[in-house]
Amino acid sequence: MLDTLVSQAANGLVLGFIYVLIAVGLSITFGLLGVINFAHGAFFALGAYVAWQLFQLFGWSAVILAPPLVGLIGMAVEVTIIRRLYGKEPLLSLIVTFALALLIEAVIRYVWGADGKPFNPPPAFAGIVEAGPLLITRYRVAVLGATTATLLGLWGFLAFTPYGRILRAGSRDPEMVELLGINLPRVLTAVFGLGCMLAAIAGVLAAPLWTVSPSMAANAVMPAFVIVAIGGLGSFRGAVVAGLAVGIVTSLTIQFWPEAAAASMYALMFAIMLLRPRGLFGERWERFE
Amino acid sequence: MLKRDLNRRSFMRASAGVAAASVLGVNGTARAQADGPVRIGMIYAKQGPGASIGEYLQRGSSLAVEQAGGKVLGRPIELVWLDEPNPQVSQQNMQRLVDESKVVAVVGGNYSSSALAMMSVANREKVPLILTGAAASEITGKSCSKYTFRTQATVPVQMAGLMPYVSSIGKKVYFITASYAFGQDILRASRALLKQVGAAEVGVDEVPINTADYSSYILKIRQAKPDVIVGGLVGGDFSNFLKQWNEMGMKDKIPYAAVAVTDTDFWDVGPQASTGIYIKPWYYNNPKNTAAEQKLIEDFKKKYNQPPSDKTWSGWIGMRALLESIEAAKSTESAQIVAHLEQWKNTEGEFPFFFRDFDHQLVRPAVIVQVKKQITDKFDYFDVLKNTSATADETAKAFGTKEDIGCSMPSL
Repeated sequence: MLDTLVSQAANGLVLGFIYVLIAVGLSITFGLLGVINFAHGAFFALGAYVAWQLFQLFGWSAVILAPPLVGLIGMAVEVTIIRRLYGKEPLLSLIVTFALALLIEAVIRYVWGADGKPFNPPPAFAGIVEAGPLLITRYRVAVLGATTATLLGLWGFLAFTPYGRILRAGSRDPEMVELLGINLPRVLTAVFGLGCMLAAIAGVLAAPLWTVSPSMAANAVMPAFVIVAIGGLGSFRGAVVAGLAVGIVTSLTIQFWPEAAAASMYALMFAIMLLRPRGLFGERWERFE
Repeated sequence: MLKRDLNRRSFMRASAGVAAASVLGVNGTARAQADGPVRIGMIYAKQGPGASIGEYLQRGSSLAVEQAGGKVLGRPIELVWLDEPNPQVSQQNMQRLVDESKVVAVVGGNYSSSALAMMSVANREKVPLILTGAAASEITGKSCSKYTFRTQATVPVQMAGLMPYVSSIGKKVYFITASYAFGQDILRASRALLKQVGAAEVGVDEVPINTADYSSYILKIRQAKPDVIVGGLVGGDFSNFLKQWNEMGMKDKIPYAAVAVTDTDFWDVGPQASTGIYIKPWYYNNPKNTAAEQKLIEDFKKKYNQPPSDKTWSGWIGMRALLESIEAAKSTESAQIVAHLEQWKNTEGEFPFFFRDFDHQLVRPAVIVQVKKQITDKFDYFDVLKNTSATADETAKAFGTKEDIGCSMPSL
């Protein structure tokens, strides 16, 4: 029993980490731009497709270029569409980004076709690892490594670099940041691009595990929203803790009470919302009060 | 007295007038149809997880129209294709086809839930509906309808073909099925057959649809150590499962068997992750395919540069049956079309297949296929093992008697 529990928890952790990457991007976009981006999942799918295309053209090493490319596409979208939503009522951004999600899915279907694309883990990461009671695939260990590195890098960037400080200050008091002579619109474009890039990293990592199809994001976006709600809107730390909790709770529910697997994360969200409506690490933001 | 009589008479006359007007009205629509093109509706998914399946179905139906020279009864055919995203919208689209496009019949419906919703419109509006997917038993069972015909074999029929194969692999069976009507149908049908084939159930997981990660389920299956797995997952869920089954090193360890899969499920995951034994309505690389089916494959390859999937065949045969029945009826009137669909018979193969008159189910064997050990072609994944039944009698028996089916069809 112990070995199953340990293996279930480890697999849940990997799933949770992929959700965290999606959720953190969503959370940052909301925290800094005040826009709830319904098209976030579409960038996740775009990441997987761009990775597949690069793999077909240039092989495995080129796959690493997929997230920055999607980030650039995200920046272009910010300049042309998202920028117009700042300071407007939230309903408008919901409708526009929802339309954007449908549009991107349609573009993917137009460019790459409605069929899925076969994509397997790179040969170097094929096979399973058995260590004591733990059983996990090599690729999932690699996913764990890649997500941890990305999250640590992001945390370091936000916490310790001058750019990170501008971002955090801009999210709290945009006017003051502009008065200090910082070109805020350009910063916001970069932030949206960063959010899309994080979604794309998750898409690239998920591509060998999930079917690469135009609507692949549908399965990933709901958990991401739940995680953001549990962790607290705009909180980086909250997204990480909530993501891991959702991953582990889901996989343990499958083991012991499979009928409730789909409901478990919502039950967790329900409990947290009752106890702490602003989420685990949600702070009081004067901007949104 | 006279006055009252007059009143009665004028009332009768007025009623007759209304009746005449309504008859004329019907004739008016029919005449409008008689002059212009014959409009036929299609309801296949255009977006979401079913979009790929929808595309192959639509290509099949459209090819059938092209092969007929784009004409029926000497008049041009106009196809109107609407989406099948969920039961509610599919039902609305069915209504739109009737109200706005004035179609003479509809071909489509891949999902049982949508199909059932569309059937209610077909009944109310008296429009023939040919379902090209939708395997749930009740469609030709307790919810059967005079206006609905179905090409796909029901779940119990497919399971009856599969289970003897399953028990020849091993006696300990683990079920992993989608937790909605289709998956439950599979579970019910296979449990009923377990004893008959001498196998036992060692575990079951009913998985919510749109599950992305199957690793937890796969760990459970490993722990239960079954001889064989019987699956009831569909579309993207099934592809996700296969991919992770391979990723977790289980591909060659425990065999997987399932029904109602389609070629694209495998084309989507690629040769590396594909494995298992399956029941399919049709396979393009089957030596037993008829000359007309060979022509379908050729025409499809010419147009799309790849072979057709079984869904293409379903869309094609559904549309063919409709066009041939309209020709035979020499009319686009719905009662005539239904009457001739009931008499429609395809005699191109070893033995004929047809829609049974008492439940409107297409009575035709399916094929049992196994994923090849070595897949060298981008599209040719299967070896055909055999058909689920070998003779006309055996086939009729597999589809059950009128009493088994439980369909009591009202008259037109």
